[in-house]
Amino acid sequence: MREFQSLKVLAVFKGIFTRLGVDYAMMEKILQIKLTMDERRVPTIFNDTGKKKEGNQFLKSLWVYGLYGLILIPFLLIGENYIFQMSLAFGMILFILMTSMISDFSAVLLDVRDKNIIQTKPVTRRTIAAAKIVHIMIYIAFVTVAFTAIPFVVGLVNHGFFFAVIFLVELILTVLLVVVLTSLLYLVILRFFDGDKLKDIINYVQILLSVGVVVGYQVLIRAFDFVDLDLAYSFSWWHLLIPPIWYGAPFEVFLNGGSANYLIVFTVLAVLVPIIAILSYAKLMPSFERNLEKLLSDTKKRKKKRNWVDEMGAKLLCRSKEERIFFRFAASMMKKEREFKLKVFPALGMSLFFPFLFVFTYPREGGLEEIAGGNMFLFIYFCNFMIPSLVYMLRFSEGYKGGWLFRAAPIEKTSRAYSGALKAFFMKLYSPVFLVVAIFFLWIFTARILPDLAAVFLGGLLQTLITHKVVTEDEFPFSASFEFAQDAGTGKMLALTLMTFGFVAAHFIATATTWGIYVYLVVLLVALWIGWKRVFPENRRREKEDSGFALNQTD
Amino acid sequence: MEAGSENVLSIKNLTMSYGSKNVLNGINLEVKKGEIIGYIGPNGAGKSSTVKIMLGLIDDYGGDVVIFGHNISTGDPSYKRKIGYVPENAEAYDNLTAMEYLIFTGELYGMERDVAEMKAERLLEQFELQDARHSRLSSFSKGMKQKVLITASLLHDPDLLFWDEPLSGLDANSMMVIQEILAQLAAQGKTIFYSSHIMDLVEKISNRIVLLVKGEVVADATFEELKEMSEEGSLSGIFNQLTGFTEHRSKARDFVSIVQGGQTDA
Repeated sequence: MREFQSLKVLAVFKGIFTRLGVDYAMMEKILQIKLTMDERRVPTIFNDTGKKKEGNQFLKSLWVYGLYGLILIPFLLIGENYIFQMSLAFGMILFILMTSMISDFSAVLLDVRDKNIIQTKPVTRRTIAAAKIVHIMIYIAFVTVAFTAIPFVVGLVNHGFFFAVIFLVELILTVLLVVVLTSLLYLVILRFFDGDKLKDIINYVQILLSVGVVVGYQVLIRAFDFVDLDLAYSFSWWHLLIPPIWYGAPFEVFLNGGSANYLIVFTVLAVLVPIIAILSYAKLMPSFERNLEKLLSDTKKRKKKRNWVDEMGAKLLCRSKEERIFFRFAASMMKKEREFKLKVFPALGMSLFFPFLFVFTYPREGGLEEIAGGNMFLFIYFCNFMIPSLVYMLRFSEGYKGGWLFRAAPIEKTSRAYSGALKAFFMKLYSPVFLVVAIFFLWIFTARILPDLAAVFLGGLLQTLITHKVVTEDEFPFSASFEFAQDAGTGKMLALTLMTFGFVAAHFIATATTWGIYVYLVVLLVALWIGWKRVFPENRRREKEDSGFALNQTD
Repeated sequence: MEAGSENVLSIKNLTMSYGSKNVLNGINLEVKKGEIIGYIGPNGAGKSSTVKIMLGLIDDYGGDVVIFGHNISTGDPSYKRKIGYVPENAEAYDNLTAMEYLIFTGELYGMERDVAEMKAERLLEQFELQDARHSRLSSFSKGMKQKVLITASLLHDPDLLFWDEPLSGLDANSMMVIQEILAQLAAQGKTIFYSSHIMDLVEKISNRIVLLVKGEVVADATFEELKEMSEEGSLSGIFNQLTGFTEHRSKARDFVSIVQGGQTDA
């Protein structure tokens, strides 16, 4: 075990913790153990033999946040209309922190293992809860630093020292706000529900939050009048409910000498809300730990449910019994596994939301009719954008240890496991989203885009196949721990995601001539045929029906 | 703690419910120093809940729980200093090495780091785990892990032990060692609260048996006394009788016939 720099920094705040009734020495020990464990998330097979993969995987993926952070720079450069620029900048910061908090650290917050191991020892609940929240804050702080370090320097150079000070203070307040508010939200949910129901509710709240943060950000943009190029800000009462604006206001107050009442109110909110949140959390956190116990209890009986859609899919899409078995298995995993849903559903929500957002907010003059004549239906490619990260997730499961079953059972052709799972993914997750968007687009753009939609759908299939070929390492789906899903944001995945643009470009070229799209369709079909044959060689005979089915679906 | 008759643990009219379901219906128990209590009962009888309440993991309960003379409902966790706990299902932080885990537990109980380290090394040696002590728990077999957890529960020399199914995964030789350790600890005046489903072991180890059924204590006596009350000769027989379970033979017959019948369908 080694010393952690982050704990040394933390020691500065020792006084505050002691005053809040936390046993600091004990908390430090717990944190040290937690950080040590975080460094060791390596597959058990490599245990003790090779220590190459050692090191905190999360910290290694931080550079991606650094890259994302570059988006902030334009907002720091374009001028001194702070309420507009900084609100947007903080909107993005809140968005990144909130998403990271919900998807990566909810598990830490709701960890019940601590209960049996630590709470049975003479440690106060307050200390355990504080250790938990500090553990998360250390990581959120890393994310914040990675995300804002470069923009911070840009701001310092461009707007001076005083700007940087406000920026820094607000960042600290933002981190507090994000972590504490999320915890408080869970606390409220924990109070009212228990057992499996509780887990489901938490799951849906997490999914809603992640989608909500994106939608909220779009609303924020609309709070400013984009039509006027001078970006005039006019106050409405509902702006009080949008936190990023709170954080834009102080810059206006301190740097531009703004003294309008609403600016003062925003500034006060920016400071006061995090402080009130942390104080009420300190007061309520023992009850949080107590209510965590409810996660473990479930007494209700449930009825067997039969899903006809899944049954139909298994019968129509799969040709062998083994493939059908895996199709059903994958379909029910996708439906039941919360961790999987948590990682996947927000992305699906955005695939559903983004095509409309872009079509309807694109600057235009001629109204719906002008849209109908254009190429904007290509925004439906947002549905395909999410494919790589979703296919990647098929590898993981909370219950990955149950994967021994696949090896113990007499499975004849193992390649059918993944072909079944991929088909289930395509039918259960991709197709519904695609169909909703497609139907609305058909209504807007008329039936002329039918061949285009077919091309998008086939492109999605092809991208699924390619992603599977590139990212899948194990023989069977749902057999790796989510602990290793963290590097999803790194290079390979980025490249696979950007592949969608390749499809968009090809599609665009195809639309140059009237028959081009049909040539493109044929090319896609052939590519799919060959691709499927190569990736699932033992399924050769089944290939024909598969691509045939895809065509029937879209035409 | 000197007097042999001193009450280490006293439970008065303990009740607990999850929603509308009553898990514990008024349990009363007085435990004296040096007793080894076999705490048994069918699944869902409320054994784990009782232990969790005593360890302060659950605090919506009715009645009084007094441990070492302190009512535990005050929220002050310091009474836990003299308690050792082996959780069921061998729950631990698997990414830590055996030594790291042991030192961490020792420190949580307020031990000095080097004292904990030295003691842990010597104890692991007794279990012949000295070579594995810097390997992660995730690479351990179930039995090895169980030995580490048992060590962790004893490191700080507690006066009261809660062991939940502590021998699962251990081989016959290790079991005998543990059995002997328990006996000697009890002779030293330690109190042991032992819950298990393996009746032969409970029969051998415990000097007092408490049987819980549907949240109520239905028997509380020594094994000899239980034998006199019942016509069964073994604890598992007594267990069956007291829990009102008699149809094990017919259940088994039905089960086997279903297993064989299923084959013709497939």
